Amino acid sequence: MEPLTGMGVMALIGAAATIAGASEDLESDVGSQSNPNSQVQLAPQMMYPHRIFNKAISGEPPSNALICAIGGTIASVLISSGASAVLALTIGAILAATVHGTYSVTSYLGRSASQKRFKQPIYLDIVRSHVPVMMGYAFITTFCILVVAYLMTTVLEHPFSLPLLAFIWGITVGAIGSSTGDVHYGAEREFQNVEFGSGLNAANSGNIVRKAESGLRNGIDNSWFCAKFGGPATGIAFGMTVFLSGWITVVFDASQSDALGWASIIAGAIIVLLLIIWNRNIEVAARNAYGPYKQDEEAEVAA
Amino acid sequence: MSAGGGGGGAHEAIPQNKLIAFGVIGGLVGIYAAYFLVDIIGPSMSFLGALGAICSIVWGASAVRRVANYGLGTGVPSIGMLALGIGVIATTFGLAVGGIAGPLVALVFASLIGLVVGMLGNKVLNMGIPIMVQSTTEIAAAGALTIVGLSTSMIGTFMFFDEIVNGVVVAQGVASGVMTTGYIAVIFIAGGLAILHPYNANLGPDEKQDRTLACAFEKGAIAMILAGIVATITPFASGSITILIGIAIWYVSFSGYYKRVKRDAFMVTGSGLLPSKEELE
Repeated sequence: MEPLTGMGVMALIGAAATIAGASEDLESDVGSQSNPNSQVQLAPQMMYPHRIFNKAISGEPPSNALICAIGGTIASVLISSGASAVLALTIGAILAATVHGTYSVTSYLGRSASQKRFKQPIYLDIVRSHVPVMMGYAFITTFCILVVAYLMTTVLEHPFSLPLLAFIWGITVGAIGSSTGDVHYGAEREFQNVEFGSGLNAANSGNIVRKAESGLRNGIDNSWFCAKFGGPATGIAFGMTVFLSGWITVVFDASQSDALGWASIIAGAIIVLLLIIWNRNIEVAARNAYGPYKQDEEAEVAA
Repeated sequence: MSAGGGGGGAHEAIPQNKLIAFGVIGGLVGIYAAYFLVDIIGPSMSFLGALGAICSIVWGASAVRRVANYGLGTGVPSIGMLALGIGVIATTFGLAVGGIAGPLVALVFASLIGLVVGMLGNKVLNMGIPIMVQSTTEIAAAGALTIVGLSTSMIGTFMFFDEIVNGVVVAQGVASGVMTTGYIAVIFIAGGLAILHPYNANLGPDEKQDRTLACAFEKGAIAMILAGIVATITPFASGSITILIGIAIWYVSFSGYYKRVKRDAFMVTGSGLLPSKEELE
């Protein structure tokens, strides 16, 4: 393969991965999946019933692995029966988003019904308004992941098959979305009523913000907030992961010679080292700028 | 009582022993019926394998429910993934060495690994969950049967290697038809989530067994539909019947699930404000 073609494909893969990361995080924010979910689940028990979508599909990595594996399987079935790749990937992503919708509905209904003694009602308008949004985000995520997996199997000639690659990238996008973007929702948005950076006091456990700028807050309000920082940050994190991990083997093609293979490993190690130093510097700079809390202040609860 | 479960034994309307029998017998009968009837009647009978898988999915979901009710919380997904991981290993081993007895070997081998993992969890990691050993054994065995069942309905057989006569492949095996093609990924994750999602989705102090199991049927039906979609391109399995039966089971079980949600919930309302302070007291 021409090096220039390889770099072009890598750029396309990186762009698709960036979109996938961003939409994955926003999808999980609409439904309060993963890390923020524990507080949403706990709130009714602490006498704070809410109108926030409570979606637990076993954590983000398995649920994204599911939709991407379904999309990849259906796309692979369609491609092997002669359909064009664009059509196959689109239909695969649509069906995956539909399955995701059924998983979302059962988890919201089931979890709310299991909180009967805490008097958590089931609001059907929440199901009707949130599930299409989540399906839309799930479609974008699955489609972008399938584009990544498809380009890897066809152009970059990866030995794994399309469903398997989609499955692996699904786990990865879920894991990165869960670790990068959720903090923005779980630590900040849910606890906007306590002082910024004060951490989660045990007394505030379950006391999530339930009222919005107007009316009662729901999951779509939360994704609006997270779209400003958490989603894009996740997108950049995932895009960089995919791009940098692929870039080293495109530039130093291990299939040409062993020396180039070793060069790609060294390049990868250098990238990891640079990122560690960079992250360390950000942490030190943040500590110097904002510092540790000097005293234990009673957190004021705003209305 | 924690939000993550009752912290004690789960209340069971249907005793677990009945569900074990349902899962093991239903799973094995489905798998063997699919295997023999595909030979005798034709590829259209491959849907029986997926029906067997649904039986073992329901059994596995019930076992997850029992053990997770001890307050596993975020460990619910982990134990499901563990089960399917054991299941894949046991299935690969069982089908590769077992021949016609492959599903049985896979079942026994998965139970053995599950037993060891459960004992490690309780004795070495000191998790101290009373039914841990039995439950990991059950979940691993259910995972193995789910994988064999879905594979059988995808390609019409559970034989591991291709059947080759005079250099021509006359029947595709699990190794080339399911594993090399990567469809094992969707079996792994759709079967795994079908086992662990029902309890995870119904987590809470007012969880009810029949509602959780209705959810297991519904998720099993989705796995069946997916197996049917793959079966449309394999020569010795028929996809359309599998898909149609899967959709029918999905519709019935989803309706049953929603009926039980309406029965169990505090209130199902089109829209409305939050419960007032007086209502909460």
